[in-house]
Amino acid sequence: MQPRRPPLPAPGSRPWGPRPAAPLIALLLLLSPVVAAAESESPQDPGQPQDAGLQRRLLQQAARAALHFFNFRAASPSALRVLAQVQNGRAWINPKEGCKVDVVFSTERYNPEEGEGHLGKCSARVFFKNQKPRPAINVTCTRFIEKKKRQQEDYLLYKQMKQLQNPLEIDSIPDNHGHIDASLRPIWDLAFLGSSYVMWEMTTQFSRYYLAQLTSVRQWKTNDDTIDFDYTVLLHELSTQEIIPCRIHLVWYPGKPLKVKYHCQELQTPEEASGTEEGSAVAPTELSNF
Amino acid sequence: MRWILFIGALIGSSICSREKFFGDQVFRINVRNGDEISKLSQLVNSNNLKLNVWKSPSTFNRPVDVLVPSVSLQPVKSFLASQGLEYEVTIENLQIYHEMDNIASDFPDLASRVKIGHSFENRPMYVLKFSTEEGVQRPAIWLNAGIHSREWISQATAIWTARKIASDYQRDPAITSILEKMDIFLLPVANPDGYVYTQTQNRLWRKTRSLNPGSPCVGTDPNRNWNASFAGMGASDNPCSEVYHGTYANSEVEVKSVVDFIQKHGNFKCFIDLHSYSQLLMYPYGYTAKKASDAEELDKLARRAAKALASVSGTEYQVGPTCTTVYPASGSSIDWAYDNGIKFAFTFELRDTGTYGFLLPANQIIPTAEETWLGLKTIMEHVRDNLY
Repeated sequence: MQPRRPPLPAPGSRPWGPRPAAPLIALLLLLSPVVAAAESESPQDPGQPQDAGLQRRLLQQAARAALHFFNFRAASPSALRVLAQVQNGRAWINPKEGCKVDVVFSTERYNPEEGEGHLGKCSARVFFKNQKPRPAINVTCTRFIEKKKRQQEDYLLYKQMKQLQNPLEIDSIPDNHGHIDASLRPIWDLAFLGSSYVMWEMTTQFSRYYLAQLTSVRQWKTNDDTIDFDYTVLLHELSTQEIIPCRIHLVWYPGKPLKVKYHCQELQTPEEASGTEEGSAVAPTELSNF
Repeated sequence: MRWILFIGALIGSSICSREKFFGDQVFRINVRNGDEISKLSQLVNSNNLKLNVWKSPSTFNRPVDVLVPSVSLQPVKSFLASQGLEYEVTIENLQIYHEMDNIASDFPDLASRVKIGHSFENRPMYVLKFSTEEGVQRPAIWLNAGIHSREWISQATAIWTARKIASDYQRDPAITSILEKMDIFLLPVANPDGYVYTQTQNRLWRKTRSLNPGSPCVGTDPNRNWNASFAGMGASDNPCSEVYHGTYANSEVEVKSVVDFIQKHGNFKCFIDLHSYSQLLMYPYGYTAKKASDAEELDKLARRAAKALASVSGTEYQVGPTCTTVYPASGSSIDWAYDNGIKFAFTFELRDTGTYGFLLPANQIIPTAEETWLGLKTIMEHVRDNLY
């Protein structure tokens, strides 16, 4: 059975990030037996048992996408989470529509304090639309940092940011040896938070992003007490191994939704990915001024 | 003198463990008179800067070569400038080669440094050969590292492992019995041009530095350049891609050097390639989803190795064939090795799983090397007991 060739995105439509053409075709080849089975089922039907490796990869992919989204929505740089372990889940592949994944996974704190071994638990439903980024995500996580503590830490971070000298003379964070100075940690956490939005938007069932390095930061003075800063991150995409520079502009205040604007550079192709988010992932909302 | 202040600043700042070898430079300093020689001697003798004289002056007007560790670069430069001493930076980071030389001279009956070729930019390619019997082409193990230059934990783990092999011989029964039966060849920097580039220009450079005619983009992915389904799926024909396979198989002199050496030797039984990151232990194939004929044995062995690795610090590795564990990849080193009769072919993707990625902090080097060592030993012991 012929694997389907993915249709190219129409010019002007939102591109779906770096195009891993060869791995994509390869993965479609792997999907062939699955495709054949799923075609005879209705989209809602779980379908035939699928290759275990493929299931595992999709569950991991979904868990990561869900976490990027969760971190962005939580908008709390002191409560960032990373994936600990995928516990269970199921993926349904519909060749016409995309990929639906239910997944349960454990998380740990991005910035664990001494002696902290907390594992949070999340469950998510992720829908990867065919050839389109910005997977639709519904995710809930158990709380593992007490709300008051989180608010205090966010506020402390906010204060640290406000006290930083401008212009910030920073080469890169971490430095080339993986070191992050304690005084620069708040910048890194906030940058990670903003990057979570970008990585969520760019993640597909095939592409997976990591934050490699922060290469420039500029903080702007504001009239309204918000943290307003511009920075460049280098994202690492695993399947193509590409390093993607993205300019990100974020506005944050503790307890308020995050505002992010970004522009990523596609190194290989002339297409570029960019996006804007005004605080809500579901529908654009007007943010009141605080 | 001003330089006393510089040393004071150094004492105050934290100096990382000397297990990290990157960023060191060799300064060639022109000394013109006795006064300058004595100033330089004072600088060199100050313990805190940890300078290492490679070539002392015998007369004036001959240069002194001094190895300056990266943490001391700034104070030394400032000192030289303040004293009006002329200098040039000669070779970027020779520290790994220097350490290889040290190991060979510290353990002359076991270890020797062998040149197997050179890179595109004409840097030497050195392997360390560990052998307890000369003159015989024993069954051998190849440990490959640093083929992707930005994966610094790979080169670091390799050079740590080199010293570990040498110092544990005749102390640890496992490595002793392995070396009584087999030779070990260790290539810590399989991509020297890329490695220098990551230290001087772009920390995240992956490929070689060979030029691509007709393209502004430099470099080929050396782990897509081997003759195993070359230019198949999981590689790119675009020179600007990070997984560009090159113009033809073994087009990269760095790859060809290894291939020629291994083929000429003719008795390799095991090939292990160290990469980062993701914490995976994989076996062939990358170029196809079809199972390798020895997949079951390799899978069992890999699981035991991953378990041994985890026993040190709890670091969890996933195990499986390359294609379905990470992604399809054609032209890879271990696929070539396997298809050329080297049954025990494995890729390690070392720490971590994305938190720091390529920029793994220096304080994780030794823990990573120590746990990886147990994984490597598990594999090597099995090879020793299952020679074919």
